[in-house]
Amino acid sequence: MRPPLQPNRDTDNTLLAVENVSLRFGGVKALTGVSFDIRKGEIRAIIGPNGAGKTSMLNCINGFYHPTDGRIIFKGEMRRKMRPHVAARGGIARTFQNVALFKSMSTLDNIMVGRSLKMKAGFFWQLLRYGPAIEEEVAHRKVVEDIIDFLQIPHIRRTPVGRLPYGLQKRVELGRALAMEPDLLLLDEPMAGMNLEEKEDMARFIIEVNQQFGTTVALIEHDMSVVMDLSDRVVVLEYGRKIADGTPEQVKSDARVIDAYLGVAH
Amino acid sequence: MLYREAGQFKTTYFSDMAVFRLREDRTGLAVVVVAAYGLAFVGTDFLLQAVLIPFLVFSLAAIGLNILTGYAGQLSLGTGAFMGVGAYSCYKLMTAFPDVNVIIWILVSGLFSAAVGALFGLPSLRIKGFYLAVATLAAQFFLQWCFIRVPWLVNYNVSGALDAPLRTVFSIPVVGATATSQARYIVVLTLVIALTWLASNLVRGRIGRMWIAVRDMDLAAELIGIRPLQTKLLAFAVSSYYCGVAGALMVFLWYGGAEYDVFNINQSFFILFMVIIGGLGSLIGSFFGAALIFIMPILLGIILPALLVPFGLSIGAETIEHLRFMIVGALIIFFLIVEPHGLARLWQIGKQKLLVWPFPY
Repeated sequence: MRPPLQPNRDTDNTLLAVENVSLRFGGVKALTGVSFDIRKGEIRAIIGPNGAGKTSMLNCINGFYHPTDGRIIFKGEMRRKMRPHVAARGGIARTFQNVALFKSMSTLDNIMVGRSLKMKAGFFWQLLRYGPAIEEEVAHRKVVEDIIDFLQIPHIRRTPVGRLPYGLQKRVELGRALAMEPDLLLLDEPMAGMNLEEKEDMARFIIEVNQQFGTTVALIEHDMSVVMDLSDRVVVLEYGRKIADGTPEQVKSDARVIDAYLGVAH
Repeated sequence: MLYREAGQFKTTYFSDMAVFRLREDRTGLAVVVVAAYGLAFVGTDFLLQAVLIPFLVFSLAAIGLNILTGYAGQLSLGTGAFMGVGAYSCYKLMTAFPDVNVIIWILVSGLFSAAVGALFGLPSLRIKGFYLAVATLAAQFFLQWCFIRVPWLVNYNVSGALDAPLRTVFSIPVVGATATSQARYIVVLTLVIALTWLASNLVRGRIGRMWIAVRDMDLAAELIGIRPLQTKLLAFAVSSYYCGVAGALMVFLWYGGAEYDVFNINQSFFILFMVIIGGLGSLIGSFFGAALIFIMPILLGIILPALLVPFGLSIGAETIEHLRFMIVGALIIFFLIVEPHGLARLWQIGKQKLLVWPFPY
């Protein structure tokens, strides 16, 4: 399904490094001393059993949670406490496990909102909807229409997303994240609750985004066949600790991973 | 067959993004605007002064609150007070600089209201929903206290009330006792049309989308780079601007003078009901809401006795008053049950049905 790795892919280029990150909520340890890196242009999967801390990890990366310990270095810059909107400005986009779209807006507007950061026309031009404001609106509308074409959803352009089936909502959410033209795209279970066909479509979109636009992708997924096919490298978490890190083949044969997924005989 | 989308092709994104995408809608709007101006010349004083001017003033205030509550999702009970800020600052400006065109002062007074609104919007970063409503209640009580206790606001007037000094536009009096209701109506109508147009530009562009994003899911909004505080404060400021201008119009072009108590909490609720019944997140809904809550009782007061005349019956004025309350209350409940999203949604559904009429699909 997946073409072989391109030889020219730059493998030493670290986009994001997670160093010794711990996250505690009172007495609950969500993450303990997790370290891994995400290289520019790769598809990185984060897997693990339920409650392993995968979503907490994404939440730390894009600023919803602040790690209790350790540090996260993005594009060579250390960040301490960062609000999600600052992370977004830095080029991190994200989708959610249970879709977080703006339900009353149409598909078009949802993706247009994703362009908000790129739009610059001032308040008074907006008020008149004239000059720079309308020019920019038209220019971004073109980009959004390209994204809509790319995701093959032109027929639901004007439908309020609250009325769309789950699979399409996931697609619109991906579109909104793409509209931000992110450097790092975090996908939290992009294929949860989809049927086979929808999963294949989504997998194709992820690969295309990665290869055409060179977007780095970090994804959480439970479907092992998807993870093994899509990702360049996999990090495995269990009970908030990292238990394995490497290529899909390495991870698949790792004893601790097999134990974590299948259980250990006592 | 009068209302069809067929045959109206959009070849540019610009034309596709127009407010009124259909020719029929544009014609309809033009007719309404021309008719509204026409009423200035054929309408009676009662119609203009007691029905249409208040209707427009309430519509403007409802647009203001709708921007905040309907679009940005921040519940506020301070509308009355923000209207008051507009009225009192307009009074101060008008009396301090009597030579400047009063319309400029009405528009500028909204800025004071916007500043005060943004200040009282600060809690919105931390609290939401009903709790925010309670926080804005503080604005209502504090500002109303200022209107009573700070005599400077009314230029140490012994009566403590606002009065409307004579002010002219192109040497036609528009504020003051000698202003005709025709002149007042034209000024109010023009301002309301202009401000509605600006509001519609705003809510359809980037800022409007950001407001709706914050309303629908604030976490996701922050995730795509929208700064929640700035976005909410902007909504408070713009909303209060509209309320402030509406307040100034209310005192100087409708009442012709007022005391602090017109800006009490009842006024806030009154506007909130208009917004809810008209339709949250809809500009045209603000007009519908104002019409239902303000014009409907007046209409009933005229229609009810007239209905009874053929039967030779007559009922006392106070009975009519009671009936009016009962019928308006029943209508409000009826409309809310039929369409909880307000009259604007009914209007939209009606238009969609009309598009395909007489076939159901």
